Amino acid sequence: MSMKSASIDIPNEIAQVLLSHLFPGDHDEHGAVIAAGVSRTCSGLRLLARDLFLARDGVDYVAGNRGYRMLRAQFIGERIAYCRENKLTYLAIHNHGGTNSVQFSDDDYASHKRGYPALLDLIQGPPVGALVFARNAVAGDIWVPDGRRLELTHARIHGTRIQDVYPEALRNPGLDSYIHDRQRRIFGDLGQARLATARVGVIGAGGVGSIVVELLARLGVGEILVADPDLIDPTNLSRVVHATGFDAMTWLRRPANPAWIRTLGERLSAPKTRIAKRIARRANRAVRVVGLRDNFANDDVAMQFKDCDFLFLAADSMQARLVFNAIVHQYLVPGIQMGSKVQLDTAGETVENAYSVSRWVVAESGCLLCNQLISPHKLALEAKSDRERKEQAYGVELPNPSVITMNAVSAAHAVNDFLFAFLGLAEDKAPLAYQRYNLLKRQAVLDNPRRDLACTECGQTRASRRAKGDAVLLPTLKRSE
Amino acid sequence: MNPPVQQAIGELKATFDPCAVVVEDDGQGGAFVIIESVPLNRPYDQKETWFGFHIAGQFPYSDIYPVFVRADLRRADNKALGDGISPGHTFRTRGAVQVSRKSSGRDPMIETASAKMLKVRAFLESRP
Repeated sequence: MSMKSASIDIPNEIAQVLLSHLFPGDHDEHGAVIAAGVSRTCSGLRLLARDLFLARDGVDYVAGNRGYRMLRAQFIGERIAYCRENKLTYLAIHNHGGTNSVQFSDDDYASHKRGYPALLDLIQGPPVGALVFARNAVAGDIWVPDGRRLELTHARIHGTRIQDVYPEALRNPGLDSYIHDRQRRIFGDLGQARLATARVGVIGAGGVGSIVVELLARLGVGEILVADPDLIDPTNLSRVVHATGFDAMTWLRRPANPAWIRTLGERLSAPKTRIAKRIARRANRAVRVVGLRDNFANDDVAMQFKDCDFLFLAADSMQARLVFNAIVHQYLVPGIQMGSKVQLDTAGETVENAYSVSRWVVAESGCLLCNQLISPHKLALEAKSDRERKEQAYGVELPNPSVITMNAVSAAHAVNDFLFAFLGLAEDKAPLAYQRYNLLKRQAVLDNPRRDLACTECGQTRASRRAKGDAVLLPTLKRSE
Repeated sequence: MNPPVQQAIGELKATFDPCAVVVEDDGQGGAFVIIESVPLNRPYDQKETWFGFHIAGQFPYSDIYPVFVRADLRRADNKALGDGISPGHTFRTRGAVQVSRKSSGRDPMIETASAKMLKVRAFLESRP
């Protein structure tokens, strides 16, 4: 997708209401307006459907003066005012007949030319445009303030499945990838081709993240963006796949060595992002890997993930969790937060609990903040240096117990969930519940996340960051100039 | 500094006016803040103290914790300062007493930085 084109992301909740309104079974035309956030990326303009306004037949959507039907001026005026106040894009919606392909009529284009320059003046900043739907197709004409008109490449509907809808149904690309022969028998050439276009973000390249990177590369994902600030440590070797003793400079870092040799070994150890890149390229020469050896919570790093198709959070830090949660809801990028936890008794001798988790975080399930998975106290502690933590008697936090087999459970469930959602194979009614696997009890549990409609991140209020795109700042760390 | 941090500093200045508020950028969007000469009541010998604290870059999601006050804080009845109030610390370059009062179940959108400082002062003044 180039800067001459645009796409739109629509949460499933909005899509279902819209499509039921447009296609009630009467084979007639209906109208609506979507107010959408905007995300400008180097791959194009992404519109993020935030609010839906259905036009009532005969009241808001009436017989046209020139075309068949039209939105009434008062309805348009109120929606334009709303979009201007909230810095959102105005999109007029209607439907045509047909199933697998759709395009605007000459009358539609003529009405855009008559009305949209004035609407751009009124909205003062964001784009305006129109979408026309058929049953399984959508086309769009987006007018941006600098005078360009962008064609809509596709609409992406986010739910249990991640479905792309085009102006015309895609044809079988006729791939010749014998390497992926066995999996193509599950999801076909179209599915394999779709994986090859995917841009996936992995936050954290440690025990869980390294496994996720390998799985994604072997599946044939097109691009993997991975962020981790750390160097590999000898204690990581039991969990980071393909990491070697040479990577961790184990012979220099032996406890018996003098301190200056151990420090040298530490400095010469490989960054985890370099190892992740190596893992991916060995698994699949065609994959493009971008390694960011930096804290994901830094603004210039986090912003590179805003146009990913999917995010995997495999980092322990609360700072990363906060920013991940914000990107998911602000930019409508679905994601999964993963991890495993082992709880020992106070003496540190008996395992009281051991579980692997995989938590969907998408526009219509409650967010990590709603579910009290973002700790204000831990955020405050993470902002301190090790020295400050020691002086203030919090100590340097001891690492959690961790084992590769538990990490593998979490990673595999998460990547499978991504795969089946991204390829439209998951059932419509499959729950978006959190998955927890208790290894001591050999028990799988689904926890339904709660959703707070007043939440600042995912809520339904005007102030929430939901689908606001570039109009609000992410809660990132800003480096001073 | 991130806009929410700047806004918090503005509110602190308004709430604690005419106390001087000294601000130092922490290089990550947050700030180290000292509020000078905050009035302090019984049970302390001193009538005022400074408050020092770090507003992290991810405020208001992050708690403000801990808070530091004057190093020579002393009760008028000479009793120990009590749980959660510990001497012998440092904040930036100042010797300090550390007040460890975390906000459990905190709603970041309701508990502003000003509200937090008022809570800490109320905690100090309510020690038996």
